[in-house]
Amino acid sequence: MRNWIKGLTMGAAAAAAIATAAWAADFPDRPIGVAVSYGAGGATDFQARIVTMVAGNEEYFGQPMYIVNKPGAGGRVGWNWFANEADADGYMMSAYNVPHFIAQSIKGGVSYSADSFEPVANWGADPAVIVVGNDSEFNTIGDMVDFAKENPGKVTLSGAGLFVGHHIAALQLEKETGAKFAYIPTKGGGAAAMKAVIAGDVMGGINNLSDAFRAREAGNVKILAVADLERNQEFLPDVPTLMEAGYDVDDASVNFRGLMVKKGTPQEVIDKLAAKAPEMFANDRVTKRMKAGGSPVRIMSREEVQAMWKKRQESLKELLAGL
Amino acid sequence: MEFLAYFGGVFEPLSLLLLIGGTVGGLILGATPGLSPTMAVALLIPFTFHLSPTQGLILLGAAYTSTVAGGAVSAILLKIPGAPANIATSLDGNAMAKNGEGARALHLSFLSSGIGGVTGVMLLIFLTPVLASWALEFGPSELFWISILGVTVIGSLDSKSFVKGLLSGCIGLWLSTIGYDDNLGVPRFIFSDSLTGGINIIAALIGLFAIPQVLDMFSKGRQSRDIEQIEVPKHPISKSVGELRRSGRALSIGTIIGSIIGLIPGVGGQIAGLVAYDQSRKFSSQREKFGTGHGEGVIAAESANNAMVGPSLVPLLTLSIPGSPTAAVLLGGLLIHGIFPGSDLFEKHPDVAWTFINSMLIGQILMVIFGIYTAAWAARIARAPMPIMAAAVMVLALFGSYSVQQSMGDVYIMLSLGIGMYFLEKFGFSAAPLVLGLILGPIAEANFIQGSLIANAQNGPFEYFMTGTLNVLLITLVVVSIAYSFWSNMIQGRTSTLAEEAG
Amino acid sequence: MDTSRLQHTFAAVFIFVIAVVVAWISFYQEPADAFLFPRLISVFFAGLAAWNLVRAVAGMAKVGDGMSADTFLKILPGLVIAFVYVFFAARFLGFYLSSWVTFLLLYTLYDPLSPVNVQGWVKRIIVTTCFMVVMYGLFALLLKVQTPRGIWF
Repeated sequence: MRNWIKGLTMGAAAAAAIATAAWAADFPDRPIGVAVSYGAGGATDFQARIVTMVAGNEEYFGQPMYIVNKPGAGGRVGWNWFANEADADGYMMSAYNVPHFIAQSIKGGVSYSADSFEPVANWGADPAVIVVGNDSEFNTIGDMVDFAKENPGKVTLSGAGLFVGHHIAALQLEKETGAKFAYIPTKGGGAAAMKAVIAGDVMGGINNLSDAFRAREAGNVKILAVADLERNQEFLPDVPTLMEAGYDVDDASVNFRGLMVKKGTPQEVIDKLAAKAPEMFANDRVTKRMKAGGSPVRIMSREEVQAMWKKRQESLKELLAGL
Repeated sequence: MEFLAYFGGVFEPLSLLLLIGGTVGGLILGATPGLSPTMAVALLIPFTFHLSPTQGLILLGAAYTSTVAGGAVSAILLKIPGAPANIATSLDGNAMAKNGEGARALHLSFLSSGIGGVTGVMLLIFLTPVLASWALEFGPSELFWISILGVTVIGSLDSKSFVKGLLSGCIGLWLSTIGYDDNLGVPRFIFSDSLTGGINIIAALIGLFAIPQVLDMFSKGRQSRDIEQIEVPKHPISKSVGELRRSGRALSIGTIIGSIIGLIPGVGGQIAGLVAYDQSRKFSSQREKFGTGHGEGVIAAESANNAMVGPSLVPLLTLSIPGSPTAAVLLGGLLIHGIFPGSDLFEKHPDVAWTFINSMLIGQILMVIFGIYTAAWAARIARAPMPIMAAAVMVLALFGSYSVQQSMGDVYIMLSLGIGMYFLEKFGFSAAPLVLGLILGPIAEANFIQGSLIANAQNGPFEYFMTGTLNVLLITLVVVSIAYSFWSNMIQGRTSTLAEEAG
Repeated sequence: MDTSRLQHTFAAVFIFVIAVVVAWISFYQEPADAFLFPRLISVFFAGLAAWNLVRAVAGMAKVGDGMSADTFLKILPGLVIAFVYVFFAARFLGFYLSSWVTFLLLYTLYDPLSPVNVQGWVKRIIVTTCFMVVMYGLFALLLKVQTPRGIWF
């Protein structure tokens, strides 16, 4: 019985795919969904809602985009759903978070890899930063690393989960310095990890630049370093990169956010999405709202994202090999 | 008293229009099965793009307060709780509606929501700085004990059988572990593809409460018309006000518990109603009436639900930490307008902050007025003939569970859990403790794991979980709660055996 | 042993089997770290299920009326319709069409008016259509939920 249903479903999907190919010229003729693998109110959800808000304008897609939240297990639930159940017709996209989904696919146990998806465009890049509470005795990243070297495993660092950008940054720092940290994954994304830092549950944390910037504005934390190649001139011009502080940690942990579709989506549809999406992200109203919310914008074309995914795939494989 | 100076902003024509729109819209969205307050507020965010920050927040504030209350409407009339917050409301509220007292249930629910809600917002206005530091006291170990304390309520939540209540809770706890493990991403108990995403709480609620009810209606079979027509006396509002005044104890228990629990980040909103319901039953002189359509049940649950709204925003407004999913969405609404909450919010943007808070205050009052006016009309829904009601709830259950995250898997889970629950109920198990387990399981697990990791980096789990004033206090409460449950269960057992012997 | 006791025993055995399976999976699956919490729960679960079983066998389980054959026969048609509706029809016919059909079927099945009464059919079709229009307005127009379209709508 089940196989019979599966067969029918697949037949219907195949028929739909053929029909879509024929009608790709008219794409899109109905609203487009964007599946976000994190809960409503999280940074990815919040940014996805902003960058898709002008999709309905005639100069972009002429059809609105709506957000569907599928949170759980650090994003695995949402991306698994997307890889297994979503139609490859362009009417359901997904928001990707790199390095999260690539690192998860390297670790295994999920039904997707970087090859399961086709990038459309990138809208933002949120570097990981290292924060401590306002009353912490650590004033530089050097203080923290030295303390961790003397007391292995005693420095607790909160982050938004395992094998997300925050965790990658912690792993890189451990590998580079030889110090041992106690990385504490929290449930509930960057906000929960930040709460743990502010409340003093942990000694420090690794968090999104945007969240950390707001927490510092509110007078709750100190930001010790940013795990990127360059300082963030827009929001945190005074915070050094880990490189400047003398640790050879690159930008592998930077959280890139963008849109992707499933592999097998008609090429015409991908091309249309890839052509219009970067323009949509660059819309004045979008960038204004993003800046107001403290979210760093980085618009990248489909080709640039493809190259970036490839690079991450290699560097993460190497980093995670020993684990 | 600074907030009084900003009341003017709320009464500008456009603001007032938004306030009314937000309240009415919120009531409708809240009453729609499958739409939790979090999703309702998220849906409204795009509307605020076109408004000024103050106006946008008026809309969101009004909508937040009224969606929480609106959830009670479907809980009472259809026995589909709109959100975990409204579970306790459906226990007595739906029983009242079935007795033809839907209007009374709605009146009591809106009035007590209003009183609880205004108290909660008042706490937010006057005690924010004090409460903010208190909310931060709850780290992983404290939250773990809170969820265990919630679990101890399970046994007494089921008034009929202590063992079966606890067992229902265990089933719920187990169901909550289905799906990918949050930390390591390990699949657990995934017997079917639909379960990979775990069990969504809103879809589960619809299944566990609505479906057994539909099957129950089926079991009555074809009935001739005259049996199902209940004589429905008119229910004047003055009578409800009178009943509310006589139920001061339930009202104050609900309001106090709701305010306290609302403050605790990450736990609050979902269990406030259930805990308040349980406590007011324990302290009530008419304990046996709970569950059969008793006013106090609705009053305690709904006053707690709305009392939690104000305090739940304390960590958000002062520390920029969203304490609940809805607060996280509201944070998004603030950020879009370039407003960063923090300790200086009230100095930097007093107009925005105070207008927001005032709009919740006025929103509560508007909500009560609208709710009361439409109650008599809405209560007719519960009197629809049985076949229409059964068919309508079935269709609503499908649409509601699908729209949570547009997933057929959730719909399958909804019906499977619902059918399972129907048979379990036939054998004395009940849905309320099961749902409480389902809600508390992930909270207990996440904090247990997180606490253990931190403890291992410090002086070991014993010191981490067992010492500290708040931990000791919570552990004491857990012990007292368990002891009380056992004791009252024994008393109950003895009286029932005595009754049997006498009979 | 009377029927009620037999039924309660049967239900208790069923739950006990589930509890044992849960415990077994929790303790034998790797990695242990991910199953720490399920282990904790399953111990309590199995213990309580065993206690419940003992009570049921001893005839101490009195809460709950159990199932009578008559009740079961009454809910069976509705249950079958609900089952077909949710697991098959909704996706293949589309949400709105399948809901219209299901609503009408359930209504007809449990309507006191005889199914051969023409007036009854007119009334039922009108009520069903009105309800579905409200559903469409609420979910499709107001909330903009994209529901599966299936073969028609």
